[in-house]
Amino acid sequence: MSLKRNFFAGVDVGSLAAKSVILEDGKVFATGLVPSGFDSVESGLNALNLALETAGLKKEDLTYIVGTGYGRVSAPYANKAVTEITCHAKGANFLHPTVRTIIDMGGQDCKAIRIDQDGAVVDFAMNDKCAAGTGRFLEVMAGVFKVKLEDLGALSLSATELVPMSSTCTVFAESETISLVARGEKPANILNGIHHAIANRISGLFARVGITSDVFFSGGVAKNTGMKTAIEEALKVTIVKPEIDPQLIGALGAAVLARNFSKKQGLWS
Amino acid sequence: MPIKTLEVIRKRLEERPAELRKLRESGQKVVGWTGYNVPEEIIYALGFIPIRIAIGGDDRLVEVGGRYASSKNCVFIREIVGVFSENEDPYIQQTDILAFDATCLQNFRAAEVIEYYFKKDVIVLGVPRNFYWEEGKEYFGKEADEFARLLEERAGVALDLAKLGESVALYNDIRKTLKSIYTFQAAKDNVISWVEVFDLIQAGDLLDKKEYLSLLHETLAELRALQHNPIIEVDGSEGRIFISGSLIPRGDRKLISIITSVGGRIVGDDIWTGILPHLDLEIKEISPAGVALGYLNRTPHAALPYLDLESDRRLKKLHELLGEFKAQGVIYHTLRYCDPFTFKAKETKDVLAKSDIPVLEIHTEYAGSDYEALRTRLEAFVEMIKIKAESAAEVIV
Ligand code: SF4
Repeated sequence: MSLKRNFFAGVDVGSLAAKSVILEDGKVFATGLVPSGFDSVESGLNALNLALETAGLKKEDLTYIVGTGYGRVSAPYANKAVTEITCHAKGANFLHPTVRTIIDMGGQDCKAIRIDQDGAVVDFAMNDKCAAGTGRFLEVMAGVFKVKLEDLGALSLSATELVPMSSTCTVFAESETISLVARGEKPANILNGIHHAIANRISGLFARVGITSDVFFSGGVAKNTGMKTAIEEALKVTIVKPEIDPQLIGALGAAVLARNFSKKQGLWS
Repeated sequence: MPIKTLEVIRKRLEERPAELRKLRESGQKVVGWTGYNVPEEIIYALGFIPIRIAIGGDDRLVEVGGRYASSKNCVFIREIVGVFSENEDPYIQQTDILAFDATCLQNFRAAEVIEYYFKKDVIVLGVPRNFYWEEGKEYFGKEADEFARLLEERAGVALDLAKLGESVALYNDIRKTLKSIYTFQAAKDNVISWVEVFDLIQAGDLLDKKEYLSLLHETLAELRALQHNPIIEVDGSEGRIFISGSLIPRGDRKLISIITSVGGRIVGDDIWTGILPHLDLEIKEISPAGVALGYLNRTPHAALPYLDLESDRRLKKLHELLGEFKAQGVIYHTLRYCDPFTFKAKETKDVLAKSDIPVLEIHTEYAGSDYEALRTRLEAFVEMIKIKAESAAEVIV
């Protein structure tokens, strides 16, 4: 007798990257991550297909798909759309049930999310009015220093000093950085200043929702170790270590929800 | 099943500007008013046609208004100024006299700007900063007397107290009927939505009062025929939303349409263009000061400073309405540069947190640029309260 295997997928289309996670019951089975293009449907499908390919599965093998991220609004491949706020909460809770606060820094916004023991959102605040603390902002900074985005963290951790940065507005920060470079300040020290300025700024979000341990850092920016250290210092917290790429947490949460929704609908037992 | 009277009301609203023009040609005068404490009953009793000038939702008009008002004035006030500058709104075009109050000082500022730049005949009703002191009550009574005197001058007749009594009775009946209709929108298996009732309330700002009352009675009769006994009950999967904060005037549909598009069900409000001004208005003495006292004893506007959260009537009323309409979450809406409500956002959230009522603060303006960002927040909030309600229901089961 062979038991039918059940696979559930979450697809998170963000402004910089599209991510997907396939769960088999309680385990991450495969993942996919591709840069986002202009067409959000295509980006989502590319991420999903990558995960399917890695898993050796076909789309028909999936029991249920949940779409999230800004691309959730048009995700014809998904059975249901859920916001990234709810998905990050579920994803972090799936990995670490003791997590109560999430800092999510993605390509175009930054969120503070407080959750309960079941991974349900209790409160949240979002900064999407300015680019400070977003992947876009750091992308601009990487451009100024002519380094790869993923190398910013390591570079800033090699700092010997912190050069104070007065501006977190992308436009002003870019010109301030250029002036600091011209003044002879070391890139690592300037970056250290940038990370701390952003961390101080996002502390405001936590003044609104509160902060309770354990703290989880998700989103593409969470891969930046310099940013992580700056946040730990600014918020006086220790961030838990994620087992998987923190950029995949939204897609993971969507896959967890896909599993829950399909069970509720009696699609499997 | 659609409520037929609502269709009639929509049609009457389309016809109303032309009707107002004809009435003015025959010698009647239209008073355009705005302000939480403007006693409309006095305007009506003097034979004027009152219409409310609360308009919003058009960013272009905010820009136009910004040429005259400060860019630090709220977007609502800037739009009102913009509307007078362009003079294309079919209702604004029909106004002869304007009546503003100083409940919110930004409203007072709009009166000054409109009078100065557009040479309108403007009357301003002073409002005390403290409604709880005897001095405040006395001041407001005198201001109401002066307000009536200024209107008498323009009407060319003295205020007849018998007519004021009739006006108060008419408005009381309107308020009572609106309250009864409002219960239906929050009920289980509702046959009318909050949005429809909201539109119905705002129709009363523009239609003839007697006709409006009879249309309200017809609406209520239709509702009673469709739903004999409206019961307000929570259904776990609904996401019952209450809207609080800055006003949502005619023309501003952004927030409401997003909430409904993401699956939230609005079941109540305490906004100035919603049900709140129609609640708890008891006029005991038929005189301008008596009417003023009735207004003063209602739930106060957020622009009036009050620091003791325990006895704050605004917060007490909010709690009461949340209970009555069985709301599961509050969307606290603040307009850009609306200081009165923005300053009260934190305390409102803190007070409601003690009763375990989630609050989402939405700070917005009339531009459409934040539509998607608002959508994510509102959708996440609706998801949050639905999940909370569902798990509460599971625990109960
Ligand atoms: S209360 Fe707010 S929205 Fe209303 S007039 Fe005052 S500042 Fe503007």
